[in-house]
Amino acid sequence: MSFLTPFFLLGGLTVALPIVFHLVRRSSKEQIPFSSLMFLEPTPPRVTRRNRLEHLLLLVLRCLVIGLLALGFARPFLQKPMVTIPAGSAGRALVLLLDTSASMRRDGLWSACLAKADAVLRQTSPADQVAVFTFDRLVRPVVGFNQWSALGVADRAGLVSRQLAELKPGWGGTHLGSALVTAAEAFTEVDKRGQELAAHRIVLISDLQEGSRFELLQGYDWPRGIDVQVETVRPKRPTNAGLQWVTDLDDARLSEADAGPRLRISNSSNAQREQFQVRWGDAAGAVPLDVYVPPGQSRVVSAPRLPPGTSGERLVLTGDDDPFDDTVYVVAPKAEPVSVLFVGAAAEADPTQSLYYLERAFQPTRRQAVALRTWTASAPFSAAVLGGARLVIVTDRLPAAAAGAVGAYVGAGGTALFVLQSAALAETVGRVAGVQSLTAQEVAGTNYFMLGQVDFQHPLFAPFADPRYNDFTKIRFWKYRRLDAGSLPGARVLARFDSGDAALVEVPRAKGRLLVLTSGWQPADSQLALSSKFVPLLYAILDLAGGLKPPLTQVQVGDPVDLGEAVATAGSQGVLVRKPDGTEVRLAAGETHFAETEQPGIYTVAAVGPPVRFAVNLEARESRTAPLPADQLQRLGVPLKPPSPIAAPRLEQKRHLHDAELENQQKLWRWLTIGALVVLVAEMWLAGWLTHRAAPQSAMTT
Amino acid sequence: MSAATRLSETMDTRRDHPPGRGQAGALLDPQVLMAIKNLELRARVVVEGFWHGLHRSPCHGFSVEFTEYRQYSPGDDPRYLDWRLYARSDRYYVKKFEDETNLRCHLLVDNSRSMAYGSLGYTKAQYANTLAATLAYFLNLQGDAVGLLTFDEQIRAYLPARHRPGHLRHLMLDLEEPAAGTATDLARPLRRIVETVKKRALMVLISDLLAPLGALEKELGSLVACGHEVLLFQILDPAELTFSFDQAVMFRDVESGQQLFIDPATVRKDYLRKLNAHLAAARSVCRKLGIGYRQFATHRPLELALFDFLRERMQRGKTVPRRVR
Repeated sequence: MSFLTPFFLLGGLTVALPIVFHLVRRSSKEQIPFSSLMFLEPTPPRVTRRNRLEHLLLLVLRCLVIGLLALGFARPFLQKPMVTIPAGSAGRALVLLLDTSASMRRDGLWSACLAKADAVLRQTSPADQVAVFTFDRLVRPVVGFNQWSALGVADRAGLVSRQLAELKPGWGGTHLGSALVTAAEAFTEVDKRGQELAAHRIVLISDLQEGSRFELLQGYDWPRGIDVQVETVRPKRPTNAGLQWVTDLDDARLSEADAGPRLRISNSSNAQREQFQVRWGDAAGAVPLDVYVPPGQSRVVSAPRLPPGTSGERLVLTGDDDPFDDTVYVVAPKAEPVSVLFVGAAAEADPTQSLYYLERAFQPTRRQAVALRTWTASAPFSAAVLGGARLVIVTDRLPAAAAGAVGAYVGAGGTALFVLQSAALAETVGRVAGVQSLTAQEVAGTNYFMLGQVDFQHPLFAPFADPRYNDFTKIRFWKYRRLDAGSLPGARVLARFDSGDAALVEVPRAKGRLLVLTSGWQPADSQLALSSKFVPLLYAILDLAGGLKPPLTQVQVGDPVDLGEAVATAGSQGVLVRKPDGTEVRLAAGETHFAETEQPGIYTVAAVGPPVRFAVNLEARESRTAPLPADQLQRLGVPLKPPSPIAAPRLEQKRHLHDAELENQQKLWRWLTIGALVVLVAEMWLAGWLTHRAAPQSAMTT
Repeated sequence: MSAATRLSETMDTRRDHPPGRGQAGALLDPQVLMAIKNLELRARVVVEGFWHGLHRSPCHGFSVEFTEYRQYSPGDDPRYLDWRLYARSDRYYVKKFEDETNLRCHLLVDNSRSMAYGSLGYTKAQYANTLAATLAYFLNLQGDAVGLLTFDEQIRAYLPARHRPGHLRHLMLDLEEPAAGTATDLARPLRRIVETVKKRALMVLISDLLAPLGALEKELGSLVACGHEVLLFQILDPAELTFSFDQAVMFRDVESGQQLFIDPATVRKDYLRKLNAHLAAARSVCRKLGIGYRQFATHRPLELALFDFLRERMQRGKTVPRRVR
């Protein structure tokens, strides 16, 4: 016999109560007053034995009532063997999704994650189909449905657990949305088999941090019949502060004052600490910087100043609980030298000349340093003069040889800007463009000219396409040279004056192009140099000429890095990239992007010339470790299932249910209660009979 | 045969015949007597019954010799005729002069809790109080001064010996006070009496004597030494004398509240042995000091107690020489 609630058997201990009551009664009942006990001695309890014997049956009945009641409350039942579920019944399809993002590197999270995964795997029945994926930025399969089926039924859970134990969390961000979508789509593999499955479930084991990306789910129609069970792992210390490198604007001027990189320190809202320190991890002698960041806020500070003559590339935040996001790698950007050749009157200090304004337009920035070289048109001109120039600006008529050199330069992919300050320059333009006898006529009116039509589709004017910037009417032209653009092969008029004549013409020439501006920007021709459009236009031309590098962006873990320039210079030697941990990767032939940025640190690209270095940092969102409410996923249409009690063994639960069912069928407690009532009635009758019998006797004695 | 001798014979006869047998019709059953609530009435019934018995007895006129009554004879002053006695007895008796025959009697009545025990439907205290009231009534009838002292572990009430109208009523009221004390201290009232009563008097101590007798001998000796005549009436319940219980139960001391589980069959022998030793000790003390000692079981008719009282006085009149002033 077994008991459903065996602790009620302890109630059987109360059988001591009637025994005690019997003893108490013996000593307390029937007192006789007597004048004096001075001649009396107490009698040893010889007679009490007789008394006990008299009421023994009553005592037994009372004890029996209590015993039966205790037995009834313990819900006894006769045990029968449990019928096990047949092995051929429908199983479930499970996708186990393990978060291996950088935030899982926090203390104890990964071990907890593995423990939960192990528990889920051990709960699977032989009929279940399981796939295991890990995800951070990317989703990586560990075990597919087919591999699972191929494993032995007995030990496949253990095998997969051991396989998982060899994994470590990476440095990537948490792209939860793509992971869930991938997992949901993985069920198609098992659905193809046509096997009957009781449920499709994704078991997500993650820290479910606030910085997770699940934007992908917003546009995703979640498939029916797939539910998600979220098993959240929580760190021992939930607070976190993070350090990020703030990218400066490319166009900002370099100055001594703000030479160091700027950093953002963010603190979690439930943080206990507010005082942090930023120091250089690899530069001795630098004074650490104290930063006060209240919980839930962030501060942007400049990196501590480095002592003169030293350099640093690693900044460390101290005072934080979890160190996984407390290091930032910085590589100071180098301004790219860009060479521009000006061919014309070289009077730099003359404000009536073009060069004066050109000099002031090209200022050095973080991104590039424009080196403006001047060359007078009358000086002997050769191809060497053009060497290395990204852009050639011609304002004066060139000799035929020089024009031929420029034509060759353009044909090789260069860009030349011809500024028709005089009609005579048209001949040079014609020569460069391969047109014989191109002429231009001087146009000057009493009134001024404006740009009447601008092609905002062209990359040159595309930055001005916004209505806030597309007003070119403020630029007044006093005079211009009318050029017959139609005679130029493939010419495209990018801007016209309000008179209908071309103002800016683009003429493609082999690999390169030449641009013809039919008016000058010096005050004698126009007010272009004084307008706000002048400098952007010049930079747009420089950009068009390929003189500007793409804007500086930070590289995050997992981002592909464009090494096209290095690949181009290296040629057949190939490009070798050295990772922060010392391993080297050679870029495959034809490959221009390096994608193996798996860890934060400084990567070195060894090619021809000085090595190029770039820094890879952790995704900033990864520092937002506050727990994400699970219903956020539900709002995005993901059906959530309450977490099953993984810790409680399922077999035990089944056995308990089985016992409860048996007890409910047998209901032995009813018989025991009836028995207790019968005994109780007998006890009452006996007690009454004894009392009645004793009463006349006592009356007689008194 | 003298009147005293006849009286003695009569009392001996009555003692040999317990109440309810033989001459039972002449004596009142104490249970019937105790049904009378009024103490004074009880005393009167006893005394009158006693007188009634006397009238029918052959000891007529003994009291002349006994104390203060003398049969009238011509020449006597008719003022001293006792007309009430004449009314009852139809005979002339002359009261002697008080100076000659005045007796001061002090009734020392134990009123402790142990006296509140009784197995016959009334307590020892009721019996003792009735006895004391009977004696007081009797003596008061004779014109003697009666005083009262009730006590337990301390003195509860004290009335000096007087013979005044209303004194007897006060005395009765004091006697009717319920028993309250938790112990019995015999030495203290005796000492008090020694200290207060200077004139020679008759001391009647009515108690169950269920207390240690240590100081009793000394204090009684003091009383005797002061010239007082002492009578000791020990009142005991028949259950105390025989211990006739049969159930093994808890016995509770009515004085101290102490409880003992006792099987009477086991302890009876030992109890009786100890009790008899105690009574013998008390008797021995009395004999040694020349004190009259009588033991009363509460089922005994009170008339016999009165007889005993008179008999004791008479015997003492024979044995103890009276001090002549």
